[in-house]
Amino acid sequence: MPPSATDSPLLSPQMLAQLERLELVSRKIFRGRLKGERRSRRKGQSVEFADFRNYVQGDDLRFVDWNLYARLDKLFLKLFLEEEDLHFYTLIDTSASMTFGDPSKLQHAKQLAAALGFIGLCRADRVKIETLGTSLAKPGPTLRGRASLWRMLEYLDGIDEPSNVPLAKGVKDFCLRNSGQGILVLITDLMDKAGYESALRFLLARQMDVYVVQVLSPEEMKPDLKGDLRLVDCEDQDVAEITVSRPLLDRYQKTLAAFIDGARDYCTRRGMNYLMTTTDTPVDTLVLNYLRQRGLVR
Amino acid sequence: MNLINALSPLQWALLLAVPPAILSLYFLKLKRHPIEVPSTYLWSRTIEDLHVNSIWQKLRQSLLLFLQILVVVLAILACLRPGFRGTELIGDRFIFLIDNSASMSATDLGRTRLSVAQERVLDLINQMKSSDVAMVISFSDVQRVEQSFTHSRSQLRQRVNRIQPTQRRTDLSDALRAASGLANPGRTSEAGTNDYQVAEAMPATLYIYSDGGVPTVPDFSLGNLEPVYIPIGETAPENVGIVSFSTEQNQEKPSQMQAYARLENSGTEAVTVEVELTLDGEFLDAANVDIPGRSVRTISAQENASTNEDEGSGEADDGEAGGGMREDNLPGAAGVQFDLDHPGHAVLKLAIKEQDDFALDNTAYSVVNSPRQANVLVVTPGNESLELALSTSEAARIATVKIEPPSLLATKEHLADAEAGIFDLIIYDQCVPTVMPAANTMIIGGVPPVDGWSKGEVASRPVIIDTDPAHPLTQLVQMGDVKYNYDGFPVTGPPGASTLMDAQIGPLLVIGQRAGFEDVALGMDIVGKYSDGNVGPKTEWPIRRSFPVFVMNALRYLGGARTSYSTESQQPGTAVKIRSSLPVDQVHVTSPTGDVTTLDREAQNTFVYSATDTVGVYDTREGRAREVAQRFAVNMFSSRESDLRPRTEVVLGYETVEGQSASEPARKELWKWLLLIALGVLVFEWYVYNRRVYL
Repeated sequence: MPPSATDSPLLSPQMLAQLERLELVSRKIFRGRLKGERRSRRKGQSVEFADFRNYVQGDDLRFVDWNLYARLDKLFLKLFLEEEDLHFYTLIDTSASMTFGDPSKLQHAKQLAAALGFIGLCRADRVKIETLGTSLAKPGPTLRGRASLWRMLEYLDGIDEPSNVPLAKGVKDFCLRNSGQGILVLITDLMDKAGYESALRFLLARQMDVYVVQVLSPEEMKPDLKGDLRLVDCEDQDVAEITVSRPLLDRYQKTLAAFIDGARDYCTRRGMNYLMTTTDTPVDTLVLNYLRQRGLVR
Repeated sequence: MNLINALSPLQWALLLAVPPAILSLYFLKLKRHPIEVPSTYLWSRTIEDLHVNSIWQKLRQSLLLFLQILVVVLAILACLRPGFRGTELIGDRFIFLIDNSASMSATDLGRTRLSVAQERVLDLINQMKSSDVAMVISFSDVQRVEQSFTHSRSQLRQRVNRIQPTQRRTDLSDALRAASGLANPGRTSEAGTNDYQVAEAMPATLYIYSDGGVPTVPDFSLGNLEPVYIPIGETAPENVGIVSFSTEQNQEKPSQMQAYARLENSGTEAVTVEVELTLDGEFLDAANVDIPGRSVRTISAQENASTNEDEGSGEADDGEAGGGMREDNLPGAAGVQFDLDHPGHAVLKLAIKEQDDFALDNTAYSVVNSPRQANVLVVTPGNESLELALSTSEAARIATVKIEPPSLLATKEHLADAEAGIFDLIIYDQCVPTVMPAANTMIIGGVPPVDGWSKGEVASRPVIIDTDPAHPLTQLVQMGDVKYNYDGFPVTGPPGASTLMDAQIGPLLVIGQRAGFEDVALGMDIVGKYSDGNVGPKTEWPIRRSFPVFVMNALRYLGGARTSYSTESQQPGTAVKIRSSLPVDQVHVTSPTGDVTTLDREAQNTFVYSATDTVGVYDTREGRAREVAQRFAVNMFSSRESDLRPRTEVVLGYETVEGQSASEPARKELWKWLLLIALGVLVFEWYVYNRRVYL
C-alpha cells in the first residue's frame, strides 16, 4: 500500500477497504487493449473454452488439440475466450466554477474520481483520469493495478489550478485523445453558458458508457444572498445584477430545478446515466449507494 | 381642514424634487455589492424574464419604493401643516361654569342644551394636559361645586356627566363668587365659612357654558379670572311660554272667578297657539291666542334701566345705540282671560297645545284654596278702642274674633282650648295668662310669664322714637303722630327677640319666639287705671290711623289669615311657608313627582317647605288627615327662561363678556400625526428591507 494513499485526504483507509470489494460494471462489452480480468467477445487466451476451428497455416501450434488429432487425425485448433481489461475514464471539469464551495466541487470531484479509479485499479482495469483542461500534448497517465494508486492520487492532488476550458471543447479534446471505448464518468457542474448538450453529444458519438455526475454546492442549491448585488461570474467575469427578493429566490429555485431536470432528461433520453450530487453528500455514500443503484459499481 | 404654508417657494421646490429624485434613483444603477459566484448561468436565466418586463412593472413591484415615496409624501403633507378648527384650552387652570337652569332643558339643538354644554366641556377636559387643573360648577339660581380643582380628568368627566337639569332660574352671581373665591386672594366663597377647596389664588380661565339668560351680576370684579362665555343654543329658537297665570275673584260677581295668563313668544314669527284650561284634570275651556313675534324697538335710557332690572342681561344689539337710547328686542306677548264659576278647592292647569323647543313653560298651574279665617280670642276687661278696631268689616272677613273677660283664663275649658291650640291668636289686654297657650299671643301692658321676658321700671310719658317698617306687624304703622302716652315700661324679650317699636325709655314693642309660636309684648296700656284709680285711655294711639292698621297687621300676621282664593304661585327653588289650618305638629307635602316630605312645625305655627324644585302642584296634608288641606303651585313664570334666544354677551360686574362662537376656535395641528405615520412607514420600510418580505 503506497504511503501517499493514507496521507491523501481524497480517500480514507476505511473507504479504501469498502471500495476494494467493488468492481466497475459496464453495460456494454468493450474491446480491451491488454489482458484483463473481464471476458471479452474476442477469442483469446484464457482458461475458458469457447470453440474449435480448423487449423490453418500459421496458427499457433500451442493451441492445436492434439488429442483430437490422435482420434480424428485432423488438426483442430482450440479456441478460448479472451479475458480483457476495461477502459475506465474519469473526466473532471476543472473550470473555475468548480473551485467554489466548501469543500469545493473540484475536491468532491477528485474524491469521486479517486474512489472510482481505485475500484478500477483493484480490478486491473485501465484507469485514466483526465481533466477538461488536459492538453493533447500532455495527456493524463494511464493506470493499471493497485500499485498505481499512489500515482493516481498524486495526479489528482496535482489538479488544483482551474482551467477555464469550455465544456464542449474539453470533451472534444478528450475524445480526440482517447479513441478507445469504455466507461466514462464525467464529473462537472454543467454550468457552461454554451450549454452542455454539444459536449455530451461528443461522448455519445464515441459510444461510451457515459455517466454524468453533476456536482453542485449547497450555495448553489440554496443561495444565501441579500440586498442589491452584482454577481460576477468567476469564469468569464459576466455580471448579473440582482435585487434579492423572495420572488427572485423562488424563481431561481424554479430555474435550478428546471436546469437539473433538463440535464437528467437529456442524458436519460440518450442512454447516459445522470447523477446529481451536492458537495455535502459524502463520497462513500455517493459510490456505495447512488452509483451502485445506477449500476456503475457492483 | 385648512392648510398653512410653512415653507418658502424655494423650499417647496426642493421638497417637491424629492419624490422624483427617489424615483430616478430607482432607475439609476444601484450601488450594488459585487459578489463572485461560480456561475451567473442560472442567475441570468432567472432574471431573464425580469428584463423583459417593463420598468413600470418593476416599479410597481417595488414595495420599498412605494414606502419611500409614502414617507416623503407624508413629510410634505406635514410641511403643509394641515389642521382643523377645534377647541383648545388656554392656560393651566380652568373653571367650568355649566348652566343647568330651566332654559338649558330646551331642545332646540336636537337634544337638551345642557347635554350639548356637557359634551363641549368634556371635549375641553379631554384636551387638558396632565398638569392642568380644573373645577366644575353647575349653576341655576344657586351654585353647586360639582368638582373642586383636580388633575383627574376621569373625575372631572364623571362629575360633568352627573350634572342634572333643574327647573330653576338662572343666576350667575353665586357661581361667580364661588369661582372667584378660589381664583382671587382674599376672597372666599361664603364669608370664610365654606371655602370649598384649598386652591392657591391663581389666575384661572373661567368657561361659562350658558344660554346667557342671566341677570346682570352687579358689583363683581373678576380679578384674576379670565372669562370665556360660550353661548349654547340656536340663534333663532321657537318657543311660546306661559310667563304668568293667576286667578282672581270676580269683583263684580263674587261667585265667579277669572283666570289670567300671559304668554310670550320668543320666536321672530307671529304664532297662534291653542291654550287649554283644565280644572282638576277635566277640560274647562280653550282659546286661540295670537302672539306677535319678537319685536325690535328703540327704548330710552330710563326704560332701559327699568328693563335691565326686569330682563337682567343687557341685551344690547349692535344697532345705533348711543345717547342714552338703545335698541332692544323683546319677545312678543299676549294675554288670555277665562271666566269660570268659583270652583272652590281646585287646581287649574293651563297648557299650550303646540309643541316647541322648550316644554317646561308650556304648562302652568294655579291653585284655588278655600279662604281661611283666623281664630282670634281677645281677653280684656274692656277695651273699646281695641274692640272697635276688631269689629271692622275687613277684620270680620279675615278673622273670627271672640272677646272674653280675664276671668275666663282660669276656667278649665279655656285652658283645654288654649292647650289644644284652637286659637291662632290670643290678645291679652290688661291681663297676663298663667300658662302660655298653644297660639300666638299679644300681651298689651305686660310680658309673657316665661323665662326671658322681663319688664323694666315704669316711666311716665314714653316717647316713641322709631318703628320697624320692615316687619309685617309694624308695616305701614306710622307712630310719628302719637304724641301722648301716659306711662310705659321697657320690654326685654328672650334671646332672638326683635324690637319693633323703640321709645326713649327702651324697647316698647318686642316680638319673641316660643316653641313654634310668637309672642308680642307691648310695654304700655291702651286702656288702664290711672294712679287715682279711674279707668280710661292711657294713650292717644287708638285715635290715630296707625292703630287699626296695627291691629289688622296683627290679625294677618299673627292670626295667619288667608283671604285670597288663589294662592300665589311659587318659583322653583323658593322656600314656601305653609300655615296649617289645624294646630298640628307635622304636615306632609306631596310633590308632583310623588315624593312625600314631612315637615315639623316652626315659628308662627308655620311649616317651611323648600324642595320646590319641580314645576307642578304640591299637596299638603295636615297631621294624620288623609284629605288634602291645601295646595300650592310651583310655576316657572320666567320671561327670561322662556326667552330661549342665546344672549350674545353676559355682563359680569364691570365687564361685558362677548360670547364666543359656540366654541373657542383653535387650530388642531395634524402635522405631528403625519410625521408619526411617516416614521411608522419608515420603520416598516426598514423591516421590509431587512426581512426581505414581499407583501
